[in-house]
Amino acid sequence: MSHFVLMVLYCGAVSLFFALLWRHEPRARLRLFLQIFLGMVLGALLVAYLMYPVPSGPPVAMP
Amino acid sequence: MGGEQPEETAASLPAEVSEEETAGGEPRGKPWLAALLAWLLPGAGHVYLGRWLRGAVFCALVLSLVFAGASLDGRLWRPEGNPLASGSAALAALLSLLSAGLGSPYLALLASGYRGQVASFGYEYGTAFLLTAALMNLLLVFDALDVSRGRKP
Repeated sequence: MSHFVLMVLYCGAVSLFFALLWRHEPRARLRLFLQIFLGMVLGALLVAYLMYPVPSGPPVAMP
Repeated sequence: MGGEQPEETAASLPAEVSEEETAGGEPRGKPWLAALLAWLLPGAGHVYLGRWLRGAVFCALVLSLVFAGASLDGRLWRPEGNPLASGSAALAALLSLLSAGLGSPYLALLASGYRGQVASFGYEYGTAFLLTAALMNLLLVFDALDVSRGRKP
């Protein structure tokens, strides 16, 4: 599994948890789920692009 | 002059906050038992309070995160040495305390000797999954307490 898939799974689990915990109506749940999920995923992508110019060092061989 | 003012009814007022969001419920069950069950097994506190579906969904969600975290070889924080010895030891003790919020899954992983593999591809993600699952379970404990005391529906 790639880092991106793991990140999306993590964001989905966290969003689902808080949507179920904090809202009790289906529409409100869906709205909060989308807000948290898109905020996390798009925020992570934005931070990743902002970090693009920062050198990350030599590549390391994956085991 | 002096035209009729439109009658303001409750239905015409903006409903910024729905009734369900503000209303609590009736107190039910014993709060300490709900909290204990919620800590022991994710979602069990809600099942005890009659919230079967929510309890089942929370249980599946938290246990899935634990399973994913352990499959990715994430670190299971455990108390090691004197927490006052150094900053890293204090942080480890704090994270161990947080991880213990996971309840029986944490105890089961401890008993099985699971530690995690720092060289593994998914080590960081696995650690994040395990810590997040523990934080979720702690929030479920407080939620079960609120439902039991009638502060939440």
